[in-house]
Amino acid sequence: MSVALEAVSVLTGWGPGTDALPADAAQAAGGRAVIPLGRPALDGDRFRRATRECLLGVAAVDALLRESGIDRDIIRGCSTALLYVTAAAYGSSNQALVVAEALRQARTTGAVSGGTYFPYTAPSTMAGEVAIEFELTGPYGILIGGAAATIDALWQATRLIADGRCERALVLAVETFEECADLYSRGRWLVKRPLVEAAACALLVPGVRRVRYDAPRTPSALETLARARAGETFACGPLIALALAHAAGATDSVALTGEWRGRRAGLYWE
Amino acid sequence: MTSRRRAEPVTIVAAGAVTPLGADLDGFWSGLVTGTDGISMIERFPVDDLRVGRGGEIKKLKPMPPVGRAGCRATQLLLAAAQDLLARAPLSAAPERVAVVVGTALGGVEQLERAIAQKGRVRHAARAFYDSPAHGLARWVGARGPVLTVGTACAAGATALGTGAELLHAGVVDAVIAGGYDGLCRFVMRGFDALRSLTRERIRPFDRRRSGLLLGEAAALVLMTRDEGGGGPRLGRLLGHASASDGSHISAPDPKGRGLEFAVRTALDEAGLTADSIEFVSAHGTGTPLNDRIEAEVLRRTLGQRTSRIPVNSIKGALGHSMGAAATLEALTCLLASRDGVVPHTVGLEEPDPVCDLDHVMGSPRAVRPHVSLSTSLGFGGCNAALVLEGASA
Repeated sequence: MSVALEAVSVLTGWGPGTDALPADAAQAAGGRAVIPLGRPALDGDRFRRATRECLLGVAAVDALLRESGIDRDIIRGCSTALLYVTAAAYGSSNQALVVAEALRQARTTGAVSGGTYFPYTAPSTMAGEVAIEFELTGPYGILIGGAAATIDALWQATRLIADGRCERALVLAVETFEECADLYSRGRWLVKRPLVEAAACALLVPGVRRVRYDAPRTPSALETLARARAGETFACGPLIALALAHAAGATDSVALTGEWRGRRAGLYWE
Repeated sequence: MTSRRRAEPVTIVAAGAVTPLGADLDGFWSGLVTGTDGISMIERFPVDDLRVGRGGEIKKLKPMPPVGRAGCRATQLLLAAAQDLLARAPLSAAPERVAVVVGTALGGVEQLERAIAQKGRVRHAARAFYDSPAHGLARWVGARGPVLTVGTACAAGATALGTGAELLHAGVVDAVIAGGYDGLCRFVMRGFDALRSLTRERIRPFDRRRSGLLLGEAAALVLMTRDEGGGGPRLGRLLGHASASDGSHISAPDPKGRGLEFAVRTALDEAGLTADSIEFVSAHGTGTPLNDRIEAEVLRRTLGQRTSRIPVNSIKGALGHSMGAAATLEALTCLLASRDGVVPHTVGLEEPDPVCDLDHVMGSPRAVRPHVSLSTSLGFGGCNAALVLEGASA
């Protein structure tokens, strides 16, 4: 199997791109538990109802195309695969619906309890909005999980390309935390800090890099670097690591690893 | 597109399930074949303020071994299916060579409701991650390979089987426990109620009087291995699979069914087969006006002139739409139909809608032994999936 990284984009609570990442996220956070990313200002009536996490997915793909000078027409249609990953980004919409339901039961009004909002609680809707916006009608996958799941998604994308099932593949990850900050604070020993909201996307194409999938016990240097600079970004971690390697011009040989719930997966481009 | 490789088939060794029709795979299958109605009033949580309070609720689960901290409803359903599966086919692969790949639409969302309602209960918050039940299952079966949760909504039970097959093809693992699950909870009942997708009548897939779906809960799992020509017992083989997006609408299928058509054609291509090989279709068939019409149109386009002679059914009339479990149960329907030489009828279908002109199995089961079958699935967010399956009798 062989692929190449065509482009990668990163948006985090620290700002757009890898240049915005601090040298030490923990220090830069200054005790803040969550570094929020905000709601992207995207034009279009269709986005009026869309949740923040949907918009972040669209914004990450948009940034990838804009920064690398790729026309939307290139990715449109059934020749582009979309692999979407998140561990937690559905949490904010789910939490909003649960709270609205509680308010409704208490006979007060809830702004988001209507039928129009409910579909946005599904993780698949985040990928769906991206597919609609960029008219992606090809192979499609959604994995729920953290950094290890993103490694799996990158590996799936590689296989889709290697098997000729698509000509290119977008691997997209989005994580939001702000709306569920209270829940994270109650389980603060379960997740590392600071929690940094992020959206990141990589575009893979056929290439010359051989890809190997593995289950390493220890983190790669890139995983350690991405965590130190970005903070805890769950599924976005491996894509941020890839962006750091790309920015350093070091994508000839890349060791990507990602851990989630005690399982570490690795992908090696050689 | 560049040249496409034909996928190697994978063996489906055995299956396990828990559904409103029965507490195990045998109960599911006998309930389907006898036309049992698994729909009832929901009793596990309050529904009296909802327009529709009925669904395919599992009233009683078999006693389980201690599950430790993995005690949420969704995990319990998964473990019940796993218990049934492992009773039929014990795991023989090394733990690090066993993967768990399960699909879901809701994950552990019921735990999120509890975490928000019961402040201080951190364990509920930790279980609210949608992938928590999959990790609970992996711990319970002792799998230490990849643990993947597929989130393609109501197509997830099919995508999970396809993803599991990929792990086997690549030699990452030697065995995969794959499938889907979802439990009924107030969150999803309230959501679909607000969407006005739930019918106050019975579910009538492909019927001219169809007026919506009812939800159900279930879990279904299969044990998959590489197809190495062994002579041991097996249910069948997964010959091809594909998932595709509509890129059309977040909660309605594409009016032309483009994503589903792409998935069906790609799955057939991967199987190295043409539509002429398909002898049975286990359809998504939700009973909603739009889904059934579009799905029927896609089947007619992809299966061609033989469509009128290929039996089609939907199991959702019997047990409701079991979301993440639905597609796995529909895949099992294909394999069990092949094993027993009988295709269950579509419960609730009495007057086929002319716009859903297919060879519906209705009224009673049909004595036919399909060798190669197609299962189609759709889900929120424009998710589509198709599986091509071969029964062990082939």
